[in-house]
Amino acid sequence: MIPEDFKQQLQQHIAGVEHPREKVMDVIFMLQDRFGYLSDELLEDAASLLKMTPLEVEEIATFYEFIYRRPVGGHVIHVCDGVVCWMSGYTAILDHLRGRLGIDFGETTPDGRFTLLPTCCIGYCDRAPAMMINRKVYGNLTPKRIDEILEKLGWDITGKRDDTGSL
Amino acid sequence: MPKLIIDGRHIEVAPGVKVIAAAEQAGIMIPRFCYHPALGSAGACRMCAVKFLEGPVHGLQMSCMMEAKDGMVVSTTDDEAVDFRRFVIELLMRNHPHDCPVCDEGGHCLLQDETVSSGHVMRRHIGKKRTHRDQYLGELIQHEMNRCIHCYRCRRFYQDFCGYHDFGAMGSANRTCFGRYADGPLENPFSGNLIDICPTGVLTDKPARFKGRRWDFERAPSLCIHCSLGCATIVSARYRELVRVEARHNPAVNGHFICDRGRFGFGFANHSNRPHHARIAPAAATYADALQAAVNQLTEISRTFGSQAIGTVSSSRAGMETLMALKILASAQQWRSPSCFQDARQRNAVVSAVIRLSPDTAVCLHDVECSDHILVIAADPIAEAPMLALALRQAWRDGARVTVLDPRPVSLPCEYTHIPVAPKQLSAVLQKLMNALLSSPDTPQFPPLRTSDDAHNAGTVSSPSCDPKPDTALQLPLLAASLQSSQRPVIVCGTNIVSGTVVNAAADLVMQLRASRKNAGIFNILPGANAFGAAIASPDGASFSEILTAIESGEIQALLIAESNPVRWFPDRARIRNAFKKLKLLVALDYLPTPVLDVAHIIFPTQTHFETPAVFINQEGRMQQTSMVHCNGMPLSQQTAGKHPPREFRHDVPGAGAKPAWQVLLELNAALSAVNTPLPSYSELWEQIEQETGIAIDRRPDSDILEGRRLRLETQVHLPETPPPDTPPPINLQEDMSLELYPVESFCGTEELSAYAPILCRMEPMPELIMHPSDAAGCGLTDGGMVTIQSDAVTLDVRLKTAAGTATGTAFLPRHRQLVWRQAGSTDSRASLLQK
Repeated sequence: MIPEDFKQQLQQHIAGVEHPREKVMDVIFMLQDRFGYLSDELLEDAASLLKMTPLEVEEIATFYEFIYRRPVGGHVIHVCDGVVCWMSGYTAILDHLRGRLGIDFGETTPDGRFTLLPTCCIGYCDRAPAMMINRKVYGNLTPKRIDEILEKLGWDITGKRDDTGSL
Repeated sequence: MPKLIIDGRHIEVAPGVKVIAAAEQAGIMIPRFCYHPALGSAGACRMCAVKFLEGPVHGLQMSCMMEAKDGMVVSTTDDEAVDFRRFVIELLMRNHPHDCPVCDEGGHCLLQDETVSSGHVMRRHIGKKRTHRDQYLGELIQHEMNRCIHCYRCRRFYQDFCGYHDFGAMGSANRTCFGRYADGPLENPFSGNLIDICPTGVLTDKPARFKGRRWDFERAPSLCIHCSLGCATIVSARYRELVRVEARHNPAVNGHFICDRGRFGFGFANHSNRPHHARIAPAAATYADALQAAVNQLTEISRTFGSQAIGTVSSSRAGMETLMALKILASAQQWRSPSCFQDARQRNAVVSAVIRLSPDTAVCLHDVECSDHILVIAADPIAEAPMLALALRQAWRDGARVTVLDPRPVSLPCEYTHIPVAPKQLSAVLQKLMNALLSSPDTPQFPPLRTSDDAHNAGTVSSPSCDPKPDTALQLPLLAASLQSSQRPVIVCGTNIVSGTVVNAAADLVMQLRASRKNAGIFNILPGANAFGAAIASPDGASFSEILTAIESGEIQALLIAESNPVRWFPDRARIRNAFKKLKLLVALDYLPTPVLDVAHIIFPTQTHFETPAVFINQEGRMQQTSMVHCNGMPLSQQTAGKHPPREFRHDVPGAGAKPAWQVLLELNAALSAVNTPLPSYSELWEQIEQETGIAIDRRPDSDILEGRRLRLETQVHLPETPPPDTPPPINLQEDMSLELYPVESFCGTEELSAYAPILCRMEPMPELIMHPSDAAGCGLTDGGMVTIQSDAVTLDVRLKTAAGTATGTAFLPRHRQLVWRQAGSTDSRASLLQK
């Protein structure tokens, strides 16, 4: 259920255009920024605001990788799995991230801080391998650089960790 | 006109035609999955790759994306193209399960055919296949998403072609899946076509699951007789049971598709209560005994009361042969001519529609798609002629305007302007429109179209986009101007709630438009598959209400009913029951287990149009013939109650007591006339029909049986014009408010034949009384509440639905199977509304 004041904000945003559905991406991101992810309930509410069927919103929401239909952690790490990143050490980068965070693609750390997701090419081929966290792109990744980034985001890379990956 | 060479064959095609379609014209079938003639090209599957050797393009290209151009030389068999297609198939098969032996599509699967033809027999990929969760999509379609090859045909059909938005494509890349947002029945009344267009087994026919392979079936081209459009079908049967109906391509009528009522409504032919043997009530009898008993009693009644004491009744679901045999019988025995219509209003409307249709003005459904302005008068397309709604959408997609003049809150899957007009005011409104057409004012701009903004709502009766009270007078000159500015206007006219006056006015409009050099056409909707034929066979027959009056006064002592069920649609059940009790003899011929058979004295079971060839004339005068799919008999599943078939040999087919109705009628005629001439064969009957009416079936070997042929109406017998009767609404509700109640059709639950189809009965919506919100408020009623229609004789409980698109002063009740609506008319046509 969208809170009334926020709903009004969305309605105002939609009111400016002839066809409400033009604003579907804006509405989805406004909702996601506010609530973290697009739950079924929010999606259905968005559909009725936009005069679309839930299926039509779902078609869009499930197409784009930066729209989350399930709960995600505080920081979502999108690792580029484009061709150039593949050629430039993507696998090693990914293994390092998996080891540090103890999670695989599609998973969230048990403390709810990090989610690991793949993404298609983000256009950083000249600085491959690359990843994107909180809409900020990081290129020329090395294990060392990843550790710096994770530490900056508050992750204890020396964390006591057993083989199962739990803290 | 581009000329090109494909595989050495020289072809000339129309400009804009894609190479894949050009090849098809030359008889070369290029492999494809996403391309479909009705849906166009998508370039999604890469399967139609061919090599362009010479001309404006060179190299490997998708033939569905390339327009045919002059000088092209194309090879479909070039090594590079063949190799490419083989790899495409291998990639598509990477995720496709190897479940052909248990897949319902196996045996008629495009993917299967093209995999085999490409030579891909060994799987090299050793990884996992992607899997999906299947969804429940309702009773009609089975979902098996793992088999999908992502051709997008289903989504393009569902959303683009039909305009419904509850089924689509979700996810991306390898995760793409096609389905609904959540489990639930599909809302699109044309959803069954997904079964036909899916090139593999993702969307299959649910009721036909596990019934057999394509090669097990007896299959034949047939017709849909669930409305007056006469869509082409292919019917499959096995073990004396109909299994499935598919759409058959008829470019003039239904194109590639049919509606779900036509696809899943065939259950009447398999009905467990279907009569299989003749009866002399209350006991079963041999056919010969029943015939003799009928002859004896009819002779006796004729001798005692005169031959005019015998009435005959048929209906618009009977084929031309039955109608004409009944007419031949009635005129030979000097009985009353067959009555094929419910009341004088219906007969008048249908006969007027037939008279006013000329070869110049008649248009087919395909012409509607090509029109640029369609005016729909007194018709609810989704309910009365579903495929028309799809044609209107295609016209609209091509830029046509659609305007609806109808009292109901009509809902269409396209943008349209709805002007709610009460049935009584329709002819006056049309007169005004005519005047506006005649006076040529400075053509003002037609108002912008309203969108049926909830497109997912399109199948339901609600149409929230309609103005509550549009100023009709203001809109008419604008509508006239818009018609004036169109080039190919089509006027669609219904016959369900209006009399011949409106039908004539609609035809006058067309004549006027033609006078102003428009290529205008008329497209009538008639009540029943062969209503056109009924009007030709018996334009002078009494209506059923006149027959009832004659029974009550004792003028009619015996009644012969051939393939008709007046009890279903006559709006006074008590009266009909008493009248039937009064009869000395009631002879009934039918293939449906109707209530008439329960009270008839002598019963002859008849064959459906799946079991004997039958000719039906659709609403545009197109004569089409069905062919025999299988022989008549009791379905094996009913005979054995699910057990193993009996291990006994017999010479007859179990339960095959039914004959074609026309044959019974002609045998009756011969026995009554006591002549010993041999009975006419099917073709001899048609010779006789040709003599009587001037219409003939085509007996040439290359006859156009599959497409039908529009009758040249000038050669027809002249239909006597009956004076248009006043059209009293069947029931006056709330007399002080003068609210008129009209029984109307709905997509599911009101049509006679599909009411015997269990699968459609399970999914029909509950009937609702529909009226304008202000009328409801005036009666103190609220939307969604249960209301009681209270009269002297009956209390009828029904849910109220208010819709702003309803004309004020009118209310509509579906002629629903589950509703005893017929009793609402059993008093002096006055009733009141109460809310609980």
